[in-house]
Parts: sequence; C-alpha cells; structure tokens
Amino acid sequence: MGRVGAETSAGWRSFIRRRTAVFFTFFFPMILIVIFGALIRTDPTGEGLFTEPAAYYVPGYLAVVVLFTPLSRMGSEVARHREGSRFEKLATTPLTRGEWLLAQTVVNAAIIGLASLLILGLVVLLTGAEIAFSPLLVPYILVGVVCFCGVGAMLGSYTDSQDGAVAASNAIGLPLLFLSETFISLSQLPGWFEPLVNLSPLTYFARGVRAATYSGAETSAVAGVDPALANLGILAALAVVAFALGARSIPRTD
Amino acid sequence: MEAVVEATDLEKVYGETTALSGASLSVESGEVFALIGPNGAGKTTLVRALTGTTEPDGGSARILSASPSAVDRDRLGVLPQEFSPPGRLSARELLAYYSGLYDDARDSDDVLADVGLVDAGDTWYENLSGGQQRRVCVGSALVNDPGLLFLDEPTTGIDPAGRRTVWRLIEDLAAGGTTVVLTTHDMAEAERLADRVGLLANGSIVAQGTPENLVREHGGSSRLTIETAADPEAFADLEYPVERPERGRGRSPDSAVVVRDIDPAAIGTVVDYLEARGIEYTELSWAEPDLEDVYLSLADATERERTDRLADGERGGSGQSDSDESDIAQAGETA
Repeated sequence: MGRVGAETSAGWRSFIRRRTAVFFTFFFPMILIVIFGALIRTDPTGEGLFTEPAAYYVPGYLAVVVLFTPLSRMGSEVARHREGSRFEKLATTPLTRGEWLLAQTVVNAAIIGLASLLILGLVVLLTGAEIAFSPLLVPYILVGVVCFCGVGAMLGSYTDSQDGAVAASNAIGLPLLFLSETFISLSQLPGWFEPLVNLSPLTYFARGVRAATYSGAETSAVAGVDPALANLGILAALAVVAFALGARSIPRTD
Repeated sequence: MEAVVEATDLEKVYGETTALSGASLSVESGEVFALIGPNGAGKTTLVRALTGTTEPDGGSARILSASPSAVDRDRLGVLPQEFSPPGRLSARELLAYYSGLYDDARDSDDVLADVGLVDAGDTWYENLSGGQQRRVCVGSALVNDPGLLFLDEPTTGIDPAGRRTVWRLIEDLAAGGTTVVLTTHDMAEAERLADRVGLLANGSIVAQGTPENLVREHGGSSRLTIETAADPEAFADLEYPVERPERGRGRSPDSAVVVRDIDPAAIGTVVDYLEARGIEYTELSWAEPDLEDVYLSLADATERERTDRLADGERGGSGQSDSDESDIAQAGETA
C-alpha cells in the first residue's frame, strides 16, 4: 500500500496545484445544474424533456462528475504520462499498472466525492428536489468512479495525445450521459434503442441511484433483488472488468 | 567477474526501421559501461530492451541474472532519455514520491544533496532550469540505491558545473560497486567515467573496449593541426604525412592541414619549415587521438558504408533511419 500511497499523494498534489483544472472540475456540474435545474426547470405536467420531478434528475447531475471527470482526467493523465515517458520510468519501479490505476482512482474518488456533495447540495437548494440521502450513494459513486477510471485509462492509452484523449472522452461521454436513463427516460427513446441503453454502465448507476434516492422511482427489481442493490452489483461487475482492462491497457513505455 | 548485463544479438524493428540489428554486449559487476553512437544508432532502444521497457524481436537479454521483464525492480535504477516527471511537484516531493515506490529507499533529502539541489528542493520541477530538472531526474534513478543503474544521456542540458556534480556522483556510485550503463554524446564524459565503451552504429555495437584500447586501435595517430590556406602540396618536403581534412568530417577546421604521426618535440621543425617557405598560418595545435577520434572514425565509416549501400540499391526491406532514435521508439511501442 506504500506504493499506492506515494502515487496517490503525488497525484493529489499535482491536481490541486492545477488551479484551472480544479475550478472547472467543480464549475462544470454546477453550471449544468444552474442551466437545467434553475433556468430550464422541470415541468412534471408538461411534455418533452424535464417532465419528471426534480429528484428524478439527481442521478444525471451526479453522472456529470462520475462519468466525465474520470474520463477526461484519466484520459489526459495517461496521455501526459506517455508524453513525459513517465510510464517508461514507472515500468522500471516496483509499482504495477494496477497500483498506478488504483492510486489515480483514489484521487478521482476524492475529487468526485467532494463534487458530488456540492452537486447534491445545489440540486436540493436550486431545484427543491426531495431526495433521500441513502448511504448507498457512497458505494455508487465509488464504484462508478472505478468503472469510468478504467474506461478513461483505455481512452488515454489508445489515443495518441492529450487533445485526442479529451476529444475521445467528450465523444464517448456525451452520448452516454444523455442515453443512460439519466436525463432522458427510456420511454422517450425508440424501443429499439433499449438494448443499447442496457449496454451502458451509466444506466445501472442512474437506475440504482434513482432507486436509492427518489421515492417516486419506478425502477424495477432485477431477478427479485431490490433495484438499489441489484444495479450496484451489476455496476460493480462492470467496474471490475473496466478496471482490469484499463490497467492492462496502460503502456509500459512510449 | 560476473556479468550483470548480458545481451546477445538483440534485434528490434519498428515498421520499416531497424533500431537494433544484432546488438551484443556484456557488462560486469561494478563496471561503468558507456554506449556512444550517433542519433538513431539504437542506444535508447538498446537501453529499453535491457530494462524491459521494450520487447526485442530477436536475441536475448539478461540483467541481474533474470530476464529484463522479470528482474527485481528494487535493485534497478533507470533514467529514461526524455523523462519529464510531474511539473507541479517540488524537487524534494518528486524524490520522495519515487522513494515511496520502493520498499526500501534512501532519504530523499540525501538524494537531493547528492545531485546538488538542496537549495532548490522546494522549487516546483517546472520552475527549475533545464539542467536542474535533469539532475532531479538523475536523482529519481538513485532513490532505491540500485545495484544496476541505466542512465540514458544523464547530463544532457546540464551546465559544466552541474555535469561535474553528476560525474562525481557516478564515480562515487561506481566506487561503491554499482554497475552503471550510460549513454552519452559527450566523449569527455565517456572517457572520464567509463571502464569500457561500446560504439553503437546502425543498431549494432561496432567496437567496444576500454577507452585506451579503443583509442589505440581506432583513434589514428597524433596530429598537428595547422590553420592555413596553403595546400598540402606545399608541405611535400616535410618528413611527416600531411593531409587536408575532408570537408565537414573530422575535428579540424576546413581551412587547415593536418600533420600526422608527429612527436610534440618535433613541432619546432614544422615551424621552421613553415617560416622557411613563407607559408602563412594562424594557429598550430597538437593533439593525441582520443575517444572523439574513435567515434568520428568508426561512426563515419559505418555511415559511409550505409550510404554506399543505399546508393547501390542494396538496402533491402529495412534500413536505419537518420531520425532521432526516440522518434523511432515512439513509433509504436506500447504495452
């Protein structure tokens, strides 16, 4: 654990000293909440987008940081490491690729944990959402971070620059954000699209968080298991796969 | 003596570019081995093959009695050529970070002192000068007190004083029994530090030995360089061989003639000769052959062979690029 601790400490210090990155990491979800929750507002009696009660969209707001922050941060972090031959250096130390990814995941979890608290507070304050602060929110956010850090590591490994990694994370993140039962319910999408929605790990995050926090959620049980727990289980399984693939994808050298 | 580094016929090809072509070497315990050679010769690729950060296409390598990918990394220290650690950590934090990756590591302040950066310890890496940055990178390879140390161009960008700090550090490590493999373009560095030198050209080691032996075998003879516009024919009666250096090759200026095989005590006879014939000159300088002569002689010969082969259309399916080898390596090496 000493190696993971050293890597985590270095990663955390590096992050908090990039003030612009810190600012926009927290500003991005805040501005979305202000736009969607306070300016556009939800309209439970109307038609089209944002027709559900405000609490319905809480998983969507959380998904903004649980999905986007790991994708873009991990993608650009891996690209930065490649450009600085840092993986070549690390490959000659006892630190394994899995330990490196674990350390980066811990850093992301800390950042996203703080951002999530801010989001929950803002959502309640600005939109009047009535949500239950379920303890399951903690494992959902942690497991979601693990999952998308793995995906972000793959993006950084298979793109050839920081620019490429950020562009790829946006290209993948935006469709996932809107097509994973976060802001748009399944009933608003064509029927043939449902299998694709079920392929997105973010879908299980959204369904589970909604089941845990929103009393009006109509999330169905999975094989008879409470949806808040069942979706966490599915997300955890996907996270293990994504983390393993992400660690494996990290280059040993440039 | 036990061989700590052993490479036999290493081959590595990136696309159509051959980076290593049968490179073999053996480095014994406690030895300092310097790899020299032109850009694109394959030095960095060879270091990567020996440190397990690239997989050779052919041949075999063993370090510390294990394959490079399975070696005990607590015993290994590596400085990659184009290494750039996180910019917003201080020199002290960076060394502490790399120390933290090992179960048993040196105190980072001691390493900071070794590389002569105590006063800059709290400065962010990105705010250090280029030479200071390189010294931090050298320090990062020393935090675990390695038994085998690979340094890929450790003094590139470092000023003369800083370079001497690193040289003394390497000498102290060698005196303490650390085996060191370093690459360099600085012949003075190789001559001063290395017990043995290997000259890499076109992916293979074309000569290796102690600096003294290499100079004796490949360095040529002593030379008296006369900066003059006169032709070598003007020296026809001189009892020593005289030549005009080929333009752009060798170490003498283009407007010079070189007198070979001359003892320093005989320089006076040359001066008398010049004055007797009214040959105007601006400077005389005498030098024994050194490692740079070896480098120029062998690297030039290899380059000419390659150029001739290309001109004759004998290149075949693979050839050595003139581009910097780090570019070659970046062409495709990922896990």
